[in-house]
Amino acid sequence: MRRRDFVKAVLAASVSPKAMMGQNAPSAVAPSAPPPIHPKAAPLPAAGPVPWMRGLQEAKPLPMNALVPDAVARTNAHFFSDRQIATLRQLCEILLPPLKKSPGAIDAGTPEFLDFLISVSPPDVQQMYVSGLDRLDAEARRKFGLPFTAVNVSQADELIRPWLRTWMTDHPPSDPYEKFINVAHSDIRTATVNSKAWNDAMATDADRRSEEGLYWYPVDPDVTQIYQRRS
Amino acid sequence: MTDEVDVLIIGSGHSGGMAAKILTGKGISCLMLNAGPVADIGKDTELRQAYTLPFRGFKQPGRLPHVFQSNEFNANTWVDEKEVPYTVTPGNQYNWVRVRLFGGRSLFWSRQSFRLSDYEFKGKSHDGFGDDWPISLADLSPYYSRVEEIFRVEGSTYGLPQYPDGNFVADDRPWCGSMQRFRAAGEKLGIPVCKQRTSLGIDGLASSINLLLPDAFETGKLKAIPNVVVRELRVNPKTGRVHEAHFVDRLSRREMSVKARVVVLAAGTLESTRLLLNSKLANSSGVMGHYLIDQIYGAGIVCSVPEARDGKTTCELMEGAALVPRFRNLQNRSKNFIRGYALNVSSSTHPMDPRNFAAYGKDLEDKLDSYSGSGFHVGIMGEVLPHYEYQVSIDKSAVDAWNIPALHINTRYTDNEFNMARDAVDTSMELAHMAGFELLAKNYDPNPPGYSIHELGTCRMGNDPKTSVLNKWCQSHDIKNLFVVDGSSFVSAGWQNPTMTILSLAMRASEYLAEQMRQGNV
Repeated sequence: MRRRDFVKAVLAASVSPKAMMGQNAPSAVAPSAPPPIHPKAAPLPAAGPVPWMRGLQEAKPLPMNALVPDAVARTNAHFFSDRQIATLRQLCEILLPPLKKSPGAIDAGTPEFLDFLISVSPPDVQQMYVSGLDRLDAEARRKFGLPFTAVNVSQADELIRPWLRTWMTDHPPSDPYEKFINVAHSDIRTATVNSKAWNDAMATDADRRSEEGLYWYPVDPDVTQIYQRRS
Repeated sequence: MTDEVDVLIIGSGHSGGMAAKILTGKGISCLMLNAGPVADIGKDTELRQAYTLPFRGFKQPGRLPHVFQSNEFNANTWVDEKEVPYTVTPGNQYNWVRVRLFGGRSLFWSRQSFRLSDYEFKGKSHDGFGDDWPISLADLSPYYSRVEEIFRVEGSTYGLPQYPDGNFVADDRPWCGSMQRFRAAGEKLGIPVCKQRTSLGIDGLASSINLLLPDAFETGKLKAIPNVVVRELRVNPKTGRVHEAHFVDRLSRREMSVKARVVVLAAGTLESTRLLLNSKLANSSGVMGHYLIDQIYGAGIVCSVPEARDGKTTCELMEGAALVPRFRNLQNRSKNFIRGYALNVSSSTHPMDPRNFAAYGKDLEDKLDSYSGSGFHVGIMGEVLPHYEYQVSIDKSAVDAWNIPALHINTRYTDNEFNMARDAVDTSMELAHMAGFELLAKNYDPNPPGYSIHELGTCRMGNDPKTSVLNKWCQSHDIKNLFVVDGSSFVSAGWQNPTMTILSLAMRASEYLAEQMRQGNV
């Protein structure tokens, strides 16, 4: 063993167990006022086993139930224009209003959630929503001389119902506007039914409760590191 | 450290698991390499409400765009195409759906368990298209029987040549009422409606990790390394035999190699083919990568059984499933397609998908209430024809996270597949109408190629080394100590879920290999 290593080893071995666990021991000195280190004081001992790890292992779980943000907060819409988000809110109100004991899309924060979801979606999805909302508003102005936000239920029905289609998974209608109306309807339902508000209201209704499933955490999650190294 | 292993098995899914089980059972030492980690359900999963997830149960936008089966709950189980990319010919979408967890796709398969018939093994003899396999049902039947026993395949027997019977756990459950009506409609049209055939496995899991690998590890002859990605196989220039695999540690990227007496490739059709193409091996025929096939999924119908509506649904009426085996082009020829398709049929007491109704608001809620528990679904599983020009090759312009050149996939469906899908939907509607069901939704368009996760055929077997990559034992014509035991050996796809056939071929090939090793030929 080289001399320097030998000295380190002796120093490390000479530290008492109490000193090693010092971070956990009560101290007479306030943490905010550490004692000054004398310039000629002996060097600090070499690092031993990381003392706070033991404390972490022995710590009891906190008595907390973590909140999801939707329990107390609303999403800030930022992607759609003011007119587009207003159109989307009206569309949500029309397509999925509060019924019986179920909350409506507005209660579930669905327009704002979709603003977030579409803001991080691929460009073709963003384009479908933006042009679809613009066209819906334009159709309302052309047909009724009103923005979509101002049409009544009957007028909204005239604007929406002709475009509704039945469709099977992964095969929405191919016409862009028809696709927008039907996909947006499906997205509004999914975002609402899977919301905390819906879950709280419908938890005991087996046919209507929110989606629950087996969530897989990343298994050996190295992918992000790999991307970073490659980029 | 061992200088050389007896058999190196690359891949841990159904085919690799079967190879390990058979070879270790005969006392042969094996080393298994797998590209992904070992999953631990207890540690890696949790029951969650969708609202607690970052995207409320929507797929994370932009992630896994070609894995239609993915959702926010299971996204971390699939291979990310950003990590392992592939390229396609513009306009020809391909959904390459992969799992690299230990056990591979055997962890998640649908468990439908069918034998191929001689309408598939000897398809060319029947209709003149393509090529016959170098084996027949009679050759594979004993292996099917043993596989069916291991996987505990539940089924009924019918004596139909296009739906060969097997070694089944008897399915003696009565037909539910809606299926009885569908069967009666089938009888009028001469279309058989049969029981499904499904692997029961153990507690519903019929995977390599619970039915095959435990036996192999029990022998003490199997060792396994997870999280290593094989980059290349190398041949000893003196012997012409493959003798070494180069791999990279998935996490650290440390490059390593291991020597082996025999290599068994079981990485899945396209990964095995990619590895061989990157290694520039076993392709004197020039057909490696060609004849990519799979099966058509996605076309079908959704109906409602009127008598099950308005709270009147019961398990006796609505809890059922059926399988309509191929009925086209057996004796008579269809006018605009060859080969055939099967229909997957199911009914359930569950709520219905809102997309089945062109309605919204209270109107939609009322319909969902009324129609709940009345859903009846029919979907196609159709044969895709093999064509030389539909192929995979190496795209050197793209590499994966470990700098391994990516696969380029060039395939698309032809009129034969589209016409078949249209016939399946029209026939399904006719059957449903005769059964008294209300049609709610229909779709004629197949999902993109690859969606079925049944990619097959890119190292096809055959008797002629000039026109095939493997012989009838899944052994390379060119390199005698190289075997490919996954779905890449298929000559035709059939309509059947290929898992039972892959397992039976892997069992047969492994027993042949063991005997060849015993005789000193390999």
